[in-house]
Amino acid sequence: MSLYEIRDMVIQIDGKQLVKGVNISVEAGKCTAIIGASGSGKSLSCLTPFDLTPGEAAGSIKLDGIDLLKANAHQKLKARSHLAGFVFQQPLTALTPHLTIGAQLKEAAAQAGSPALSRHELAQKLERVGLSRADERLDQFPHRLSGGERQRVMIAAAIAHQPKLLVADEPTSALDASLRGEIMTLLDELREEQGLAMLLVSHDLASVENHADHLIVMEEGRVVESGPTVDLITRPQEDYTKRLMAATPRLDEPAPDLPATGKVLVDTKDVSVIFPKPGWRRGKIKAVVDASLAVRKGEALAVVGGSGSGKSTLGRAIAGIGPLTSGAISWQGEHLPGRRDRDLAMRALIQPVFQDPVASLDPQWKVRDIIAEPLKNLQPDINHSNRETMVLKALCDVGLGEEYLDRTPASLSGGQAQRVAIARAIIAGPELLVLDEATSALDPLVGSSILQLLAELQRSKEISLILITHDIASARRICHRIAVLDEGHIVEMGEMESVIGDPQAAATQKLVAAS
Amino acid sequence: MRQLLNRVHWPLWVVLILIGLALILPLVLPWTFDQIDWEAVRAPAFSGSHIFGTDEIGRDRLARLAAGTQVTLMVAIAAALVSLVVGIAWGATAGWIGGKVDEAMMRFVDALYALPFMFIVILLMVIFGRSILLVFIGIGLVEWLTMARVVRGQVMALKQRPFILAAEAAGTPPRTIILKHVLPNIAGVALAYLMLTVPQVVMVESFLSFLGLGVQEPLTSLGILVKEGADDMDMTPLGLLLPGGLLVIILVCLTIEGERLRDIFS
Repeated sequence: MSLYEIRDMVIQIDGKQLVKGVNISVEAGKCTAIIGASGSGKSLSCLTPFDLTPGEAAGSIKLDGIDLLKANAHQKLKARSHLAGFVFQQPLTALTPHLTIGAQLKEAAAQAGSPALSRHELAQKLERVGLSRADERLDQFPHRLSGGERQRVMIAAAIAHQPKLLVADEPTSALDASLRGEIMTLLDELREEQGLAMLLVSHDLASVENHADHLIVMEEGRVVESGPTVDLITRPQEDYTKRLMAATPRLDEPAPDLPATGKVLVDTKDVSVIFPKPGWRRGKIKAVVDASLAVRKGEALAVVGGSGSGKSTLGRAIAGIGPLTSGAISWQGEHLPGRRDRDLAMRALIQPVFQDPVASLDPQWKVRDIIAEPLKNLQPDINHSNRETMVLKALCDVGLGEEYLDRTPASLSGGQAQRVAIARAIIAGPELLVLDEATSALDPLVGSSILQLLAELQRSKEISLILITHDIASARRICHRIAVLDEGHIVEMGEMESVIGDPQAAATQKLVAAS
Repeated sequence: MRQLLNRVHWPLWVVLILIGLALILPLVLPWTFDQIDWEAVRAPAFSGSHIFGTDEIGRDRLARLAAGTQVTLMVAIAAALVSLVVGIAWGATAGWIGGKVDEAMMRFVDALYALPFMFIVILLMVIFGRSILLVFIGIGLVEWLTMARVVRGQVMALKQRPFILAAEAAGTPPRTIILKHVLPNIAGVALAYLMLTVPQVVMVESFLSFLGLGVQEPLTSLGILVKEGADDMDMTPLGLLLPGGLLVIILVCLTIEGERLRDIFS
């Protein structure tokens, strides 16, 4: 019998049925992963049995022989605090800022009813989750730790009382790509060592497929398909699962067929961006140091790196919307001035697309005005009716219809909003798009459709792309070449296939291993 | 605009109705606020044509109440609007330019905050004599400070938003970015703080009037009425209770509404 078994669970919030007929089972020492887009009810299904959501569950939920739905409040509390441990998505906010790591860990264990832990034992717990200098860490406050380190502390806190079940809700989504693999490996080790049953929730198939024994695919509150991971991945039965598999890029898939490239369009030489430290502190932050790269016509260049590697800053400098401290950017041999001096004709050449599609559209504006904005400034002699036609054409180019013209950004889904942002970027006929993590805030299916749209634009309009991302596997689907940034330096640059096949720099190796 | 109207809540309606009454009553009442009825000094409520009676020199209480509310709210709304304009201009400039300019402008705001403003107003009154203009200047001097800080914070946050960067990339000139992208997006928060400024100004004006530093007799305001009522409260408590109660209702309603709007927008 499984340690944790859910049968025919239905979850309601305010009388609305959000999850229907869900079966989940997790065995001791095994990992079950629930995969689904946002809003598919995957987190709800995992957290509601422990009263961590406003939802009401019905059906049968058994944890270690206790029926959670029939249990009284005391038994339920015991099940939640003693038998289960939880790891959540946001390591940055999950720790209390005013308590030291040691105090938080101690409290977490005490809350779960285990005897008070000595300092030595606490340090051991931290060592167990792979934190170096554990004794020192006990006295540190959370802000001294990086995101990955904090997530390790969260895991240490979640298993400090030796639970039987670990529920991890998107434990790696907020972390850097290169850290994700490490955290997942840690979870695997702990699971085997302590015989933990693990319930993992993720929107990203690629990040869990090598770690989960059993997969459950959810869509709109139902289980679409479930089964052993190997079976599901090699022989998906349902259409949704198949689409999900196809949307998840893999490094071992065959190399894509990319359009031919032409002459060099943009060329940066020793570009550096240096910020003064905020406030009155002395010192400087070198965001980008001596970056030199070139993009040809019709070519897509992936600029890859972890967070804080300077990849966005470099992209903004090229697009003329961010500072540039030294170095030169040229366009077909001609000098391209920096932020303030770039004239309209030059602005029209390069357009940006941002990560958060909703934040990149003015919430007060209608779609028609948003898309028309570049046209009004960059090609002011076009009259009103021609402009309307062009707006509609751009909207069609990105796969949306006339009915979106009068919508506001708040009424658009993430994917639709990103399409509108792309329409705005292409309407004035740019030759280069700088895409700053343009797909990473989106669900995998939506993200891959945006990627597909970019590939189509790349072919039909011969637009060059700079794809700033942390995700090598998805960049590989449309990019010819890759530049890897680490702490502001370009540490590796070359043809996509050869770099992935034989990564040289440590940063590249980490990123490739994580994909 | 319709969205905004739908968001209007009962407290604002109460204030709007009070303003309406304050505007209409002087037109329909048989007495003006400075007219003395020699036959009825300190008349009780509902005596003859004096619904709320008369004060200690025989002026109709209801008429004075209406006139006082008019003056108080006029001063408050005008001062709040002045603070809105100055605060937005100052705060938006500081937040948009940033860096050293921002530092200098905001330290100036801090310096003004530190001044004992009541003391300065009293000094001004003593030197230049009492006038409604000085009340304005005194109140205006302090009330824009909070607005400037709030607007600066909002503008700095907005400046980082991708849609502002996208507008820059789209070649939109900075002036248009501020007018079309920044200001519309801080309008909600500014409105909420405007709503919170009005009751503050009402308080300040009433306080100055209560000290005898506000508007000049026979012109009246709620603060003056409270003071007169307080002087005479052992004889006719109604004289204190009416303007005092009205003041409380206006302050409470505007504050509730302002805080509600602030929660919605920020």
